[in-house]
Amino acid sequence: MIVQTALLIGLVLFSVLAIFLKDLLRAAISLAVASLFLGIVFFRMNAPYAGVFEISVVAGLITVLFILTIALTNTAEEVRESPLANIVFPLFFVVFIVIDALVMKGLLQKIPTVASGPEAGTFGEVLWKGRTLDLLGQIAVILAGVFSVLALFRKRDKHD
Amino acid sequence: MIILFVALPLIVAGVLPLIGKVSRRVLPDLLANAALLFLVVYAVAVGRPLIANGPALQKLTWLGETVNLRLALDGFSLFMLLVISVVGLGVSLFSIDYMEHYGAKANYYALLLIMIAGMNGLVLATDLFHIYLFLEVAAVASYSLVAFGLGHDELEAAFKYLMLSVVASASILFSIAVIFGMTGSLSLPDVARALRDLDAGAVVGISAALFIMGFGLKAALIPFHAWLPDAHPSAPAPISAVLSGLLIKVSGVYAMTRIFLNVFGLTPALSTVLMYLGTVSLVGAAFLALGQKDVKRMLAYSSISQVGYIVLGIGLGTPLGIAGGLFHLFNHALAKGLLFLTSGSIQQSTGTRNLDEMGGLAKRMPFTAATNLVGALSIAGVPPLNGFWSKLLIIMALIQAGHPVFALVAVLTSVLTLWYYLLIQRKAFFGKLNEKWAAVKEAPFWMTASTVFLALLCVAVGILFSLTIRTWIQPAAGVLADGVQAVIRSWGL
Repeated sequence: MIVQTALLIGLVLFSVLAIFLKDLLRAAISLAVASLFLGIVFFRMNAPYAGVFEISVVAGLITVLFILTIALTNTAEEVRESPLANIVFPLFFVVFIVIDALVMKGLLQKIPTVASGPEAGTFGEVLWKGRTLDLLGQIAVILAGVFSVLALFRKRDKHD
Repeated sequence: MIILFVALPLIVAGVLPLIGKVSRRVLPDLLANAALLFLVVYAVAVGRPLIANGPALQKLTWLGETVNLRLALDGFSLFMLLVISVVGLGVSLFSIDYMEHYGAKANYYALLLIMIAGMNGLVLATDLFHIYLFLEVAAVASYSLVAFGLGHDELEAAFKYLMLSVVASASILFSIAVIFGMTGSLSLPDVARALRDLDAGAVVGISAALFIMGFGLKAALIPFHAWLPDAHPSAPAPISAVLSGLLIKVSGVYAMTRIFLNVFGLTPALSTVLMYLGTVSLVGAAFLALGQKDVKRMLAYSSISQVGYIVLGIGLGTPLGIAGGLFHLFNHALAKGLLFLTSGSIQQSTGTRNLDEMGGLAKRMPFTAATNLVGALSIAGVPPLNGFWSKLLIIMALIQAGHPVFALVAVLTSVLTLWYYLLIQRKAFFGKLNEKWAAVKEAPFWMTASTVFLALLCVAVGILFSLTIRTWIQPAAGVLADGVQAVIRSWGL
């Protein structure tokens, strides 16, 4: 329980840092650390596939893409962190933890827990047979993303 | 083959950018319009016989094994599919001429078709997570379509829209997670059954509140409306028409209605909340619309107000109220789509959206003026146009259910609506022709054709309203009025 709580606090801490930090590189790394914590939480809650994907894709691949993009575009200027972040961040963090502790404990007891059923087959079976429509939807999201990039960056190419 | 409603637009969208390399204009125009025309014909000709004996379920086999591609078509979803494809067709006809000067036309059609596929998928989904997923498909396409003009305002509006939409998605996803934790299932019939047997009022209340916030943001109900008056006017006119005519209704009203009425079951408390939200939106946005100078911004506020009518009718929960709400959804989709298209015609011909700079345009743009008048009078609820009948149904239902105050507010707001629509008509089209616009010409052929098409539909639905209600609205309202039973009994997957 203590490890779990520590992991969750770390997750919130680094997620908020990722928003507050003005230096993009630091923000990207904070995000990676946050998702590392989340991945470990997934492992501890018996969801190894979710954990593997969280750590390999979100903490790994996406961070690499972010850092590459920052490295390619950064003008190497020193970014000054906002002084507000120094006050607002700890305040926000404390308030969040307090509210969380007060609300969640009462709330969690109200949710009737479902008896975890037997494993519904291997990962492949669940993905391909159980959630096939999700794959179609994901293809659509990826298509939308690709076409958005093509559409939104169309004029810049000419000007450059 | 229900899956065709999702797969066809997706496949066409996938090949369009490749085809765009060969033919910049003709083939993309042809292919996109043909796909949407096919969907209209398919919904009318195949859809109705398919659900004659109760809801149709799609199950697919892949290499001899059943895969979990479950889609369900019932009266409500078929009705939504019809609305989506008819307005989609009108919009894509309009785009043939209007999108000429934007460039990247093939890409534009691809994104439009993905948005349509997302909305169709959402309407056919039988599972909470699929609803979320297709909501995002339509949303991702719509962000970039809002920013399609690449100007400063467009990008800012798209960013604001993106940020508020993410908040909406997060609260919807959180609520889905809570429900999954409670019931152990995501499929709508299973969740409906489990919630009926479970005694967990407080937690159901929390997830309902999260859904109201999420879908309320998507439907732009007051107080969740801040993004809409920026996002909708900034988009190219045909996209404004899709956003206001379809997207807020599908990803806001449809999803909310399906979950609240068919899965949660409409409780008196929920009904009251929806009715108050609807009333605040319809009154508040009508006053906000009055003060606008920008014609598209005025139309955007009017959308919030009209969605208020729809939510008020459906939230009432009586069969007549639901039928009125759905009929108004249909009429508003047609008329608001039409009005955004005519505002696009004005903007393209004169280069301005400011009502004070216009004047006397009816002399130069007779078709645009006439079709705009039809749309305006329809939304304002002037008989015998379609909007009159749906508002009449909602008001009758309110009186019947013993809510005379709500009915009075709805009637008075209708007068306010007529006022600001006549303001548009008078400032833009009537009066003396402004010297500046002496050389203005009527909009090109396809733009005029598509506005005439939608205006004729408004008139036809108004005259044939009892036929429309019998064939399309009644089956849809029936599904919602059956409540939880509709999903549990007939979607037994």
